[in-house]
Amino acid sequence: MFRKVLIANRGEIAVRLIRGLRELNIASVAVYSDADRPSLAVRMADEAAHLGPAPSSESYLRIDKIIDAAKRHGAEAIHPGYGFLSENAEFAEAVTHAGLVFIGPPADAIRKMGSKTAARQIAIAAGAPVVPGTEAAIRSLEQARSTAESLGYPVLLKAAAGGGGKGMRRVDREEDLESAIRDASSEALHAFKNDEVYLEKLVLEPRHIEIQVLGDHHGHMIHLGERECSIQRRHQKVIEECPSPLMALDPGLRDRMGAAAVKVARAAGYANAGTIEFLVDRDRNFYFLEMNTRLQVEHPVTELVTSLDLVSWQLKIAAGERLTIDQNDVRWTGNAIECRIYAEDPENNFLPFPGKITKLVEPSGPGIRLDSGVYEGWDVPFDYDPLLAKLAVWAKDRKSTISRLIRALKEAKVGGIRTNLAFFTEVLNDEAFERGELSTAFLDGFFARRKPAPEPDQETEAVAVIVAALSKTKAAAPIVNSISKWKWQ
Amino acid sequence: MKLDVVVNGRAGGLQLESSRFEYNGIARDYSLIASGPGIFSILIDGRSYEATVLAPGTIQVNGRIFSVEIFDPRELRARSTAGASQGRQNILAPMPGKVVRVLVAAGDAVEAGQGLIVVEAMKMQNEMKSPKAGTVVEIKTKDGATVAAGEILIVIE
Repeated sequence: MFRKVLIANRGEIAVRLIRGLRELNIASVAVYSDADRPSLAVRMADEAAHLGPAPSSESYLRIDKIIDAAKRHGAEAIHPGYGFLSENAEFAEAVTHAGLVFIGPPADAIRKMGSKTAARQIAIAAGAPVVPGTEAAIRSLEQARSTAESLGYPVLLKAAAGGGGKGMRRVDREEDLESAIRDASSEALHAFKNDEVYLEKLVLEPRHIEIQVLGDHHGHMIHLGERECSIQRRHQKVIEECPSPLMALDPGLRDRMGAAAVKVARAAGYANAGTIEFLVDRDRNFYFLEMNTRLQVEHPVTELVTSLDLVSWQLKIAAGERLTIDQNDVRWTGNAIECRIYAEDPENNFLPFPGKITKLVEPSGPGIRLDSGVYEGWDVPFDYDPLLAKLAVWAKDRKSTISRLIRALKEAKVGGIRTNLAFFTEVLNDEAFERGELSTAFLDGFFARRKPAPEPDQETEAVAVIVAALSKTKAAAPIVNSISKWKWQ
Repeated sequence: MKLDVVVNGRAGGLQLESSRFEYNGIARDYSLIASGPGIFSILIDGRSYEATVLAPGTIQVNGRIFSVEIFDPRELRARSTAGASQGRQNILAPMPGKVVRVLVAAGDAVEAGQGLIVVEAMKMQNEMKSPKAGTVVEIKTKDGATVAAGEILIVIE
């Protein structure tokens, strides 16, 4: 096993990795930009290396500086975390060429699964279902008509060279197909200098369900079940859970999705921890979407339900050890749900809201796991993603888990910045959420049916006013003096 | 002690003594101690409340957050006479961040909905639009400046 590992990341995941390393008696090297000198990760790590100015392009994305830091500090391996360089095949290669170990999959697997079209081909070849479509560009209106008819409306036009929704059109009826192709092509030409568009079946109100896979470098690969991540805002997950509520309706679904995920990962030559993302339609058909070739943000829900430590296995596998768990050894017990706590304002379009954390009270008690990268008095920098912490809870079933999570959210207090804590309490109290009726369109529906928060009762409000008055007003001094335990010693 | 207060935008009145208060028509005995910096335990008729001062004027009580402004009557009078000048509108930073670009100059005539300034935080750009047609009276910031939430960026008349 390694004696020292460098963490090429920041925030809560850097803290998570430091903890994982320490539990295996491995020394940790944090890296930091100018903005992150005061970070919790730097405080907690055994060693820390400065990378450069705050912008990621000059710090956390600098392959040369990171490898140089690893060498200077005598680290034998690098864990990339998620985001930044974690899915960069060049980085994985550079680490290996420098004589260090990259804690993740082989560079070749990252490269293959990083291309949407190559990944889709691998999935098809491995026999995994993909969203039905043509892939080849539309050559004529006639051809498009017959393809759309065989797929069944509604269909989705997509730019072959595209991404980010550009050149994308939903088509509900054959009459609209011709003009939609014209619009999508011209938008694609404008955005990507390539007017090719292709057709895909539109999956209506899909669920986003992903499968965790784990494989070693000796040909052994298993899956650790699913995470349902359908609750998203701006295409970013905010609540994740295991098991998916779908599994209660269709107990064979986990095995089918798991088997498909393992086949895709094997076909890609994958090793270490990875995640295969699927869309699931209303008839519980699942379709391969893409592979994330790294540790996921939401890995704690899998760890809570399977009692397996993904970070620990990542380290052991990277060090060449065998994965000693067979598929039949994996057990899923109880239920876990995670909320991503962001510095953002849910009442203002989820706009980021960085700033100084003037007050922090963290939840605790039975079944609570808090993976945080912050502390009271720390300034949340505006240079990076505003994820502060992940609050994950475990309980025996979904209903108890929701109650426990609401309890924990109410214990948590963050002052000085805005967060989505209270927003989560509302979502978790939503009846459709309780019934497990989830889809990636869930939050749109939630906002449409959301009622204004009930008025607080007058006594609770009075308490807030009394404390504000006693803290602020000079006129309150005689009263403050009469309260013997006002000042905290 | 009698104070005028505004809680979450609504006005009210607090009469406070060392062990009894009256607030918007309810009168109760209470006991209060400080249990930590900015953390208070309050008992009212055997009901237990914990209040946390998140920031000056922002108090969390049993899971709810209140924005509380306290005025002593003298301050309030000063406030109401100052008043807001007719038709002036301040464009405020919605979040802490960096000014990417100021799109107008002082003296420019602007349409309602016209973009005035672009502010960026955490890779999210946010264009602030003019709430009404008018003239740019003053630009209080510049390209590249760091701004705090609620800071006045531009004044429109």
